[in-house]
Amino acid sequence: MDWRQRSAFAWCTYVRITRTNPFAGSRSWDRVALFRLGGGISWRACVRPLAIACLFAVLSASHLEAQTQSDEEVTPVPLLTGSSGFITTFNGGQPDFHPIVTPLVLVPIGQRWLFETRATFETDLAQVPGRNGYHGGPLQKEVEYAQVDFIANSYMTVTVGRFLTPFGIFNERLYPVWIRNLQTDPLILPIGIGPSNASTGAMIRGGFKAHPKFNINYAAYFSALSTVTPVNSDRFAGGRAGIFIPSARLEIGGSFQHGLQDARSNAFGFHALWQPPALPLDIRSEYARSLAGSGYWLEGAYRLTQVPFHQNEFRRTQVVARMQQYFVGANVNDALQPVNIRLFEFGLNYYFIDGLKASTNYGRRFSTAGNGNVWTMALTYRFLVPLGHSGGE
Amino acid sequence: MGKRYILFWLLCATACLTFSAIAQERANSGGSSSTVTPALTQETPSPSAVTHASASSKATPDTSEARALRLEGEKRFRTNCGRCHQAPHKFPPRVMAAAIRHMRVRAMITDEDMRLILRYMTQ
Repeated sequence: MDWRQRSAFAWCTYVRITRTNPFAGSRSWDRVALFRLGGGISWRACVRPLAIACLFAVLSASHLEAQTQSDEEVTPVPLLTGSSGFITTFNGGQPDFHPIVTPLVLVPIGQRWLFETRATFETDLAQVPGRNGYHGGPLQKEVEYAQVDFIANSYMTVTVGRFLTPFGIFNERLYPVWIRNLQTDPLILPIGIGPSNASTGAMIRGGFKAHPKFNINYAAYFSALSTVTPVNSDRFAGGRAGIFIPSARLEIGGSFQHGLQDARSNAFGFHALWQPPALPLDIRSEYARSLAGSGYWLEGAYRLTQVPFHQNEFRRTQVVARMQQYFVGANVNDALQPVNIRLFEFGLNYYFIDGLKASTNYGRRFSTAGNGNVWTMALTYRFLVPLGHSGGE
Repeated sequence: MGKRYILFWLLCATACLTFSAIAQERANSGGSSSTVTPALTQETPSPSAVTHASASSKATPDTSEARALRLEGEKRFRTNCGRCHQAPHKFPPRVMAAAIRHMRVRAMITDEDMRLILRYMTQ
């Protein structure tokens, strides 16, 4: 059966599923239907497209198997990577030490599978009035995500497990301390990503060249309700799509999410990344809106590689500035700020070597609850240890 | 007391990692991985050339096609990876193969970009 026959078979299966509900009248299905929360979009309606997409993916997987095997002659090795950081924040003059370690384990399996999991170990150390030294709370441990990825074909990857919610770009791509330009989180980060920043369920995603001039990337996911701390998640479904224009180094996209519990509200957002080809400049921005709140951030980072003197020092230095604004919504969320806030930050990053970075930034916060300064200093490091023979010399 | 020990060991771990990184950097300072001159004006090779080049990446003759593929790989590397983070050094081939698979999922880079970047980073 070639790929066309497989696709035809998959389409016939899709038609059969959509026309005749195999679970109609079934008691087991009625029991499952208890999870449906009122009218509108049910979780069945969200799961069905994902299931159909997975079916297509599996059926088309063998089509590209031979090609993939010939392309990836190098056998990947399991990796222990991640980042560590020591972040000091002075908020209103009070110092707060925040050591953090986030190991990430990557286990490639065969030619198409990847298991990846990331955990966080962090604590806060602060001065307690009347006591000497710094005292902290308990060591917080959290599995941020643990997912299995199946690379079905050139267009689609199927992910199952606990995964970072692909809403906007910061949570999924810019969150690690060694990647982010400023160590403080954007104020709108909690919008659309669920509790503990992750979802539990299934996702399809991928990127492909849609035109010689641009690529398209997409993600569609369904998350089930989980009340087990710290791996809790909400029930929602959503997606994100973006267009990347390599010649202009510009990516723009949007995210949408529909809640399937409580208020069954929607959230949406837009993101943009631009690196002008002629300049060592990164411009990133996000906008997000939900019932809980809305806001935006706009960040620019300029690497001083074009300074004609002290080039060894200046080429390692990056100047960063970020402006953000947050507006409280109708349904106040604990993860979001309770007041309207305007925050302007600027800072300096110095890259000692690959993966080791020192950063400092100052921010001025304007809010109805009072204005204040925020200072942050950090030393972050990205480590990478192969868990096997790396194939080097 | 326990928290102090945790902080102490975290600091020790950070110091060890920092020193190991500096040592690694010194060891690699003779290499040319971080000082590759960008040459982004080359013509884009065809996808079929990309596929065949990946398959024959172990013994690559220094032909103009191989050079064009390498330059295109560098261009894709800077364009795709630089969107989110600073460009890292090159890693050993098996390490890079695992990392690029992770990035294919995380950053949703295309199949063609993945092959070109993998080829560039493992040369």
